[in-house]
Amino acid sequence: MRHVLLILVPVVATFAILPSVYSNHLLLFNFMIFIMLAQGVNVIYGFTGYLPFGYVGFFGAGAYGFSLMVIHLQAPPLLALPVGAGAAVVLGLFLTPLFRLSGAYFSIANLAAALAVLQVVSNPNLESITKGPYGISLSGVFNPTLAYGTALAVLAATLGLVIYLRNSRFGMALQAIREDPISAGMAGINVVRERIIAWLLSALIAGLAGGVFAWYVSVFYPETVFSGEFTIFAIVFALFGGNATVVGPILGVVILYGLYNAVGISTPQYFQLIYGALIMGLVLFLPNGLVSLLRRWGLNVP
Amino acid sequence: MTRYTIFALLVASMTSATAFAQGTGAPAEIKLGTLYASSGRFASISMPVHDGLKLWLEQKNAEGGVFVKAFNKKIPLKLIAYDDQSNNATAATLYNQLITQDKVDILVSDSGSVLTSVAVPIARDHKMLLIDQTGTGANFFTPDNPYIVLMSDPVSSIWPKPLADFITHDGPKLGIKRVAILYSTNDFTGTQANAVRKFIKESNSGVEIVYDEGIPTETSNYTVLLNNIRATNPDAVIELGYAPNDIAFLRNVQDSGIKPKFLFCIYPGLETELLEKNVGGAGLNYVFTYVPSSEIAYQASFGMPLKDYKAAWDKKYVDSKVEFGFNSVAGYTTGLVIESALAAANSLDQLELRKAIFSLSGKLRTLDGTFELDATGAQIGEITPLGQLILDEHEHLKFVTVWPHDVATGKPVYPRP
Repeated sequence: MRHVLLILVPVVATFAILPSVYSNHLLLFNFMIFIMLAQGVNVIYGFTGYLPFGYVGFFGAGAYGFSLMVIHLQAPPLLALPVGAGAAVVLGLFLTPLFRLSGAYFSIANLAAALAVLQVVSNPNLESITKGPYGISLSGVFNPTLAYGTALAVLAATLGLVIYLRNSRFGMALQAIREDPISAGMAGINVVRERIIAWLLSALIAGLAGGVFAWYVSVFYPETVFSGEFTIFAIVFALFGGNATVVGPILGVVILYGLYNAVGISTPQYFQLIYGALIMGLVLFLPNGLVSLLRRWGLNVP
Repeated sequence: MTRYTIFALLVASMTSATAFAQGTGAPAEIKLGTLYASSGRFASISMPVHDGLKLWLEQKNAEGGVFVKAFNKKIPLKLIAYDDQSNNATAATLYNQLITQDKVDILVSDSGSVLTSVAVPIARDHKMLLIDQTGTGANFFTPDNPYIVLMSDPVSSIWPKPLADFITHDGPKLGIKRVAILYSTNDFTGTQANAVRKFIKESNSGVEIVYDEGIPTETSNYTVLLNNIRATNPDAVIELGYAPNDIAFLRNVQDSGIKPKFLFCIYPGLETELLEKNVGGAGLNYVFTYVPSSEIAYQASFGMPLKDYKAAWDKKYVDSKVEFGFNSVAGYTTGLVIESALAAANSLDQLELRKAIFSLSGKLRTLDGTFELDATGAQIGEITPLGQLILDEHEHLKFVTVWPHDVATGKPVYPRP
């Protein structure tokens, strides 16, 4: 409850209030999307140790699940959103055999899976279903204000879930699996089941984020919602802040994505240099993220 | 003396009242916001467009600004331009920045469909008219969105009409009855393929499509595909791809020894210098392609004619590596349309600007051809004719326009020697 009051409420309130004082709403919306995605990576990588290089596959599945519901069934967006997220969860279920792999092999197989989904979605022979490579236009349900409000609700749910994981036996079990699956199994944890639940929860978060993103932007190509940059950013933000914490990914997004935009607008010519140097510095001096630095200073970071 | 003073004061007050009335609320500058991609995969199409727009803007500012009817005076232009580095997400944020923070008066998109796509809903959301430079994606133009107009390049769904018309009208007389279509599966070339297919099928000319295959845009080896095409024994091969696709395809055609009797590609016309550098003059000889506006001296009723524009470009960008061509004309055309719209609009209100731009439709003739819009804001004028590249005796490639007949400069060479 303390974490809900100290983290969830202030973060959600901030994003609820900011649109009235700062008019670049898309930027605020993107901050929320990246917090969701970084927290989604946090759930599967931070808590269970599986690094999903193809995490964007769930995001894209959510975006397309949402869009196809709207296009083919004329579903209202608030109904299409959970169905879209359901598509991401189904994809997650479909990919559960990947857990036979570990480490880099899992990451690479996951990346390949995401690329395969992109190729299927953008296949011109499926134009009548997915619109193929020609992109989606959802002008009929275009409503950025409601989409923003829904993103706020998804953000709150995501933070609530991570707070639960941070404070529950289930979250502890996941961390035990991350540290040593065999010992965790010996201690009575159902490793396979718990890991799959975390994986599907992570897919659900990305699916919801993808659906609400599709709703907000309303015109996009397959490459837009399956862009590897979403995965890279989400992983980098989560790592920068600190995994297996509630605050870490939020800090990562606020600082790094904030910097990304500030540098991109003010001095785009130095953008890659500054950003690259920052990430190198992080890897060299703070491999466990900003949170580890705060803890070194004696602060108890949730 | 007192009488003279009163008279002078009266005259002065009347003059200033008139001046005030004319310049009431006139801004010190018109803010024009746009994006460009100095790096990444769209840099080659973005930079010429951006440089063309900049050339127009600097020329106008050197003349004291652009005439704005709403304030009945010339007002200088201020360009606010950000580098999106060909990144869609960055572009989205920067478009928002232009609208919400810089509060630009005129919003101009980056070049090409991909970097324009993210601007479409953003502009609509903020009720800003999106001056779409070359984003031809058919998805952008819907009857319920009045906040977009396409400046240059016909919308992809009608762009290939001259090609299809040539094949269905002149083709059968030449012996073209079997057509193969190979296209890259992206919005730009995929939509062109759909249009070619539709035009050929609707023509009832007896021309048959014997091969129709979409392939990933990343394809770089066409050897197997060429053999598959040859197996269908086509009279004409239409390859629709981006510049790297066309380069790889034409190289493979040369290497394989396969000689299609009629060969069409998009980029030998749009980026001739680039293609010649990579494929060589012999590889482009007798290839059919679009004839860009940079090759046709349209009678411009507004703005510089092609020759003067080329001279101005060469003078301004003497050391630049950005090539003059189709896209550089597009950027300048954008400027001309904006200039004409500001001279016609009664206010800077976005829908008033739209109305002013629509009033130019079918009337404005620039070095890019006749500017013409359909009801959704898509460009249906500025059609690129069909031409054939021919190596002359000095080994220089020249365009021979073959369709439409009224602008034709020569006869097509068929079959390709």
